[in-house]
Amino acid sequence: MASQENVQATMSTKLVTATTTLQPSFEQFSSILADKFVGYLDYLNNIPGGTIVLRYIKSSYKNDPVRSLFELCLFILACNYFLSSKKKENRSDILDFSEKEIDELCRQWEPAPLVEKLGPQKSWDLRCTPEIKGHNGAMVQVTTPHIGERVKAVNLASSDFLNLNESEAVSSAAKSCISTCGVGSCGPPNFYGTQDVHVRLEEDLSEYLDTEQAILYGQDFTTAGSVIAAFLKRGDLCVVDSGISLALQKALVVSRCDLEWYDHNDMDHLDRILSELSPILDKQKPIRRRFIVTEALFSNYGDIADLPKIVELKNKYKYRLFLDETLSIGVLGDTGKGLPEYYGVPRSEIAITIGSFALSFAASGGFCVGVTPMIHHQRISSLAYVFSASLAPFSAKSASSAIKEITTKTNSQGKSVLISSLHEKTSYLYNQLKKTLTNRFFSIVSSPESPIIHLSLDKEYRKRLNLPIFYGNTEFLLNGKPARKSNGFSQRYNLESYILQKVIDEVLIRENILLTRSKNALDHENLPVANPHLLIMVNVAVSFEALDKLVKTLEDISHEMSHKIRNQEDLQILEQELLTY
Amino acid sequence: MSYKIPNAPVDTRSPEELAEREYGRLKSDDYLYVSRHPVGEPLPTPVDDEPPYIIYISTYISYLILIIIGHIRDFFGKIFKPQDYEDLVEKNGYAPWYDGFESFYVRRLKLRIDDCFARPIHGVPGRFVKCFDRFRSSNLRYTYTGTSTECLNLSSYNYLGFAQSQGVCTSTALKCVDDYGTSACSPRAHCGTTDLHRECERVVAEYLNQDDSIVISQGYGTNANLFASLVDPECLIISDELNHASIRFGIRLSGASVKVFKHNDMNDLNKLIRNSIAQGQPRTHRSWKKIIIAVEGLYSMEGNMVNLPEIVRLKEKYRCYLFVDEAHSIGALGPEGRGVCDYFSIPHSKIDVLMGTFTKSFGATGGYISGKQELIDALRINYITNIYGESVPPPILGQIISSLNVLTGKLNKGEGVERLKRIAFNSRYLRLGLKRLGFIVYGSDDSPVIPLLLFLPAKMPAVSRLLYDCNIAVVVVGYPATPLSSSRVRLCVSSALTKEDLDYVLTKFSEIGDLTYLKFSSGIAGGSKIPGEPPRWSIEEVLEHNTEDCKKPKLT
Repeated sequence: MASQENVQATMSTKLVTATTTLQPSFEQFSSILADKFVGYLDYLNNIPGGTIVLRYIKSSYKNDPVRSLFELCLFILACNYFLSSKKKENRSDILDFSEKEIDELCRQWEPAPLVEKLGPQKSWDLRCTPEIKGHNGAMVQVTTPHIGERVKAVNLASSDFLNLNESEAVSSAAKSCISTCGVGSCGPPNFYGTQDVHVRLEEDLSEYLDTEQAILYGQDFTTAGSVIAAFLKRGDLCVVDSGISLALQKALVVSRCDLEWYDHNDMDHLDRILSELSPILDKQKPIRRRFIVTEALFSNYGDIADLPKIVELKNKYKYRLFLDETLSIGVLGDTGKGLPEYYGVPRSEIAITIGSFALSFAASGGFCVGVTPMIHHQRISSLAYVFSASLAPFSAKSASSAIKEITTKTNSQGKSVLISSLHEKTSYLYNQLKKTLTNRFFSIVSSPESPIIHLSLDKEYRKRLNLPIFYGNTEFLLNGKPARKSNGFSQRYNLESYILQKVIDEVLIRENILLTRSKNALDHENLPVANPHLLIMVNVAVSFEALDKLVKTLEDISHEMSHKIRNQEDLQILEQELLTY
Repeated sequence: MSYKIPNAPVDTRSPEELAEREYGRLKSDDYLYVSRHPVGEPLPTPVDDEPPYIIYISTYISYLILIIIGHIRDFFGKIFKPQDYEDLVEKNGYAPWYDGFESFYVRRLKLRIDDCFARPIHGVPGRFVKCFDRFRSSNLRYTYTGTSTECLNLSSYNYLGFAQSQGVCTSTALKCVDDYGTSACSPRAHCGTTDLHRECERVVAEYLNQDDSIVISQGYGTNANLFASLVDPECLIISDELNHASIRFGIRLSGASVKVFKHNDMNDLNKLIRNSIAQGQPRTHRSWKKIIIAVEGLYSMEGNMVNLPEIVRLKEKYRCYLFVDEAHSIGALGPEGRGVCDYFSIPHSKIDVLMGTFTKSFGATGGYISGKQELIDALRINYITNIYGESVPPPILGQIISSLNVLTGKLNKGEGVERLKRIAFNSRYLRLGLKRLGFIVYGSDDSPVIPLLLFLPAKMPAVSRLLYDCNIAVVVVGYPATPLSSSRVRLCVSSALTKEDLDYVLTKFSEIGDLTYLKFSSGIAGGSKIPGEPPRWSIEEVLEHNTEDCKKPKLT
């Protein structure tokens, strides 16, 4: 093959030289060219396989050398295209070394350690993780390395808002499933990993959320990344709330779609962006997929998205809506069906809904619901579904029975008993806190509906301590691409978290109530990170007296703390204190 | 008859009989073997046998025909049955959910054999698996008759047979529901850490001879976000070309540079490491901050083992870090089931990041990361699946702890050793039998994953359905999980299977192999009776000699 190419290459050069010396008359040119051309072609007979090429050329020649010349050029172009691989483009970048030099370079190379050893600035964080002994529920036996053991603490740090982890019905469902199916599912859903309980849960869920179909995932955190990447490719467009959780951030990074950000929960901004984009998108042929992506109940801020407005806008500009209901399923709405129920918007307005079984449903895993073709596509092309074992059967069964617990026990107004009790306790605590926390140490940032109450250090107070408005970086918002360098360590973020930890410790010591705070991996956050919040996770089984106690203590502690930590110098003392936590 | 999957029929058999159906009793001590690689001996390069040319040609022609017919059907279908193509066209100004071109393979090739995938089951996927009977009533719909068929299970990841609904592991899991509930209720750092989590992490670390470990609620999720915590864009990850999707996803998310070496090719790896260190980062030629080599212990599609001794030598020579994904090898390999390190007698401490899953060998779900204390401490506050993801539910922890304790002999002394020896024997027994019968199988001798090559796409449904009719459940895999021309049946061997089960499997395979022309190995991968001739043993001969011969050091 190579030799043939050579012959043809030389042929072409000779042909070119021949054309320059000839008379301009076209007939003459072509007849002389034809003679020479045929003459050269006879050489081909000497090459093995050349006869075949010759036959082809002869049959295509048809007394028209220009035609053959054209074909030859095409052939050379094609060869050139196939032979120049992408790697070759970087050839110029590669340095030539002898083996000896490479040995020397390998010997000299000093790799960095696999991970940086945790300094005392960071390692205190490890020591404040509470360890629950025994059953997790409304009352727990808890140990932290700093405080020691507390035998009966009220648990306001668990995301099991409906306290279904202590429900007899859920645990007996799980037990009956373990005694017939074992623990693990032992295979991916497409290979004998789909059990009857999985299909039942899919049916239950789609009936509960009033959609066509549902699909289950083995873990809630990977659901977003897998679902988004299955539908959004390069060239597709997402208009995204800039307050979304880390799971969604990562999902959007991986999908490589085009991104536009609107200010967190700012509907006017969203409208502006959509109307600015619409003249460009109207011309698009074929139409690309476009989504509005938002969380229902924001995990970073505790507020809820303005769904009716978003739905109105997305219908006006023909976008699909992707709604992450991880925190809001089993929480918002009269029967816990999430944000659409809360606003009275039909679920069919939402193209893709994802959520979690691991929080309110006291099971594990994640899910996605929507129309049939969308779900069906995921069964083949969603990575976390295809390449991972299916949800443990007992988890599916407990989730099914959790849905039953929520939907079947209703009061006279048709509201779920569990959910309305959660709403009652949430708004009680919210109002009490709102009334008492007036000393400008804490302020509530979450919505009244959120069962996770976010308390942030007060704005003015933070200004006095010279704490920044937000942490992290804005590069993802500005450029649509995450920053190349991760955020790195922030001492002020660390200190602010430490102040909250001190509050948590005090509440646990004084009143035996376990709270928590927002725990973020600052390094991995691509969007600006809100300042750390103290989190109170309301649980239906916690009594009003305990909530009262909490409010009272928080009031006391915030008084004390605001006196103790007044300015930046006090922060420096904390910096020392933290080292020995 | 209904479109909905029926409820599982009530099983009236006695508990003893059911237990036997989940985990077959061992009939003779002859059916045991200890899997271990002889120290110092180089790992033999697995020989991938080639079929006759006619097979290759007909494979490509098959795909050509399928593609042409698919396009013809698409062309006429769009004209005459537009309602079937609604999902592929723009509607009211909305783009379709997915491209017609992208989904062509799925619609026109995979859909034809859809009944071979995702067969719904009920009960324990142990020695036998109970599949619901169904028949296809339209393109996407099945009608269920309400009954189910019990099939010999060569499809589930159940290497050590821990998928059981009775016995010590199940009782522990049940007790965990009572003592801890069904859910961990929260991510680890908030209040999702119980004493059970700590215990499980200790047990796992101890089993792997490492300082500490982290358990994660999903194997895929373990890998998918791990690399971002270890590397930044100034680091390099050198990855085997056949690494699992989750590793590739994780690397993509981390933003680090990635280079790929030929599957298990140590010369290529050596060259790649040397050149990478010498060249440094692209354009700037600054030296890499660190280099991580990412490999799997046992490749689930090829049945190959990683050449660990050589990789450890290379990583020490060039001071790279080594990540080993033991998803399939943990439990299934090594005299004590401690994975590839155990199999090659290499101390676990030589591997920097050990990752694995509990799905395959231990009858649970989830994954783990294990390593030096420094690594685990750093990951606890900087590993996003651990911080933001749900924590592992207690019953799963119970299953992990108890199955590991069975393996180390702390529970039911002797049972763990038997399980380990049975998987080793069963893997070799089935592999040798198939080789001798004349099938092309890939992979290492001791691997419990046995891919049997079919090549032609039409043989996938044929073999799957024929075996299903003989009550044997297998997994067939084709493109895109494998190269286009090498569709295969993947057999996952389990300790739960008895020698008689394997004899039955071999007999049926022999018949189906004759029927579908699958016995075309050339003998270069072993199995020949007379060296140099293609192996075509009769089934009687195979069964007669297999028990002794499969325990010889080399399977020939």
